[in-house]
Amino acid sequence: MIDSGSSDEALLSGMAMGDQEAAVVFVRRYQRRIFGLAYSMTNDASVSEEVAQEALIRVWRHAPVFDHRRGSVTSWVLTITRNLTIDALRMRRAVPTDPDDFAASAMLSLEHNPEDAIGRGDVSDLMRAALADLAPEQRRAVVLAAVYGRTALEISDEESIPLGTAKTRIRTGLIRLRAAVERVRQTEGER
Amino acid sequence: MIEGARPTPCDEYSDNLAELALGILTGRERAATLAHVDSCPRCADELEQLSHAADAVASVAPEIEPPMGFEVRLFSQMGVAETPERSRRRLTPPGSVARSPRWVLATAAAVIALALGLSIGWSTGGHNGGKAADGPVGVEVATANLTANGSTVGSVNTYGGSKPWMIVTLADSGTQGKVTCEVVTGDGVTHKVGSFTAKDGYGAWGAPLRVAPQDVRKAEVVSSNGKVIAIAALHDVS
Repeated sequence: MIDSGSSDEALLSGMAMGDQEAAVVFVRRYQRRIFGLAYSMTNDASVSEEVAQEALIRVWRHAPVFDHRRGSVTSWVLTITRNLTIDALRMRRAVPTDPDDFAASAMLSLEHNPEDAIGRGDVSDLMRAALADLAPEQRRAVVLAAVYGRTALEISDEESIPLGTAKTRIRTGLIRLRAAVERVRQTEGER
Repeated sequence: MIEGARPTPCDEYSDNLAELALGILTGRERAATLAHVDSCPRCADELEQLSHAADAVASVAPEIEPPMGFEVRLFSQMGVAETPERSRRRLTPPGSVARSPRWVLATAAAVIALALGLSIGWSTGGHNGGKAADGPVGVEVATANLTANGSTVGSVNTYGGSKPWMIVTLADSGTQGKVTCEVVTGDGVTHKVGSFTAKDGYGAWGAPLRVAPQDVRKAEVVSSNGKVIAIAALHDVS
């Protein structure tokens, strides 16, 4: 029985079987996150709607091949969205949102303080706090790499910094974010 | 690495693991690092942890309500039987976060405080528009609605502390293009804070504030032709 309380995995399984009710619940659960990610990257409502629609259609079509061993449903869905948004930006030769603005909008959406976020197992809020806690140059490098898919060489060119510096910022920033994710995972493991 | 210790293969590849986790390592570096990870449980474990972190970065983006009609258009393309869109208590327009603005802005200021490296505690709630707030312990946060013709079209948040900051959000303001944000201090002097671009009425922006936040009496969003689009009263003059 599919309802609004069904797990993501159950909804995907239902979608894989062609269950339209599962699709409706899934869309309503994820549309704001998907549209929010696309809009945060593009600052363009029209492009974001196109991306969000395409992302959800792909999830609907590819639900049968989702492999939970490779990551969470949320990661899968947001990776599809991110990749489609990058493609849309490239095709239109559009200027993406500045990484600092992306990070600022993320900070704006923080809903709980970090300790509460750990208790709730809320990776998003904890990552927002961890991202805010990074040195600005590390935060910018991590967002450019993790969200916009920029390589270290591209970041080096765009930021006018040595390649080694770009690599160090990416690595150091991600290692610090890893600590935040691990705190949530450890808390979940203790439950 | 311990002085005198012989370098291990891990030393050679560990620096690449973050980029591999982010999917941005290319060419020979990628192939060589992947080959090493295949034969090294320690680096494989490290890569898995970094990959979780890399995947989680995209999840920080705010949730934003898609435009009206989104579901109808989507379900039509998916071939899903049309279902009435859920009743929306309030249409949250693109560009605005689908959460309580007052709490969001209060916490945003606190997070920015963290970003600025300040040692602070956390408050447990939001605050009233135009008034100094609880905010992070020991610092002052003020929030006020931006209004135009009596309607709320956004909000302004100032954060005190050693590095003052200001955040402006516009939502459904009808504003398009470059706008300037100015603040007026108690001595009547207008200070330009910076410019940002509003698109389809929406925009969110933050910048360092070069005047003391407690001196700010009002904030104004000004169009490129000098017209004041919206005003927020930040501190009671009375």
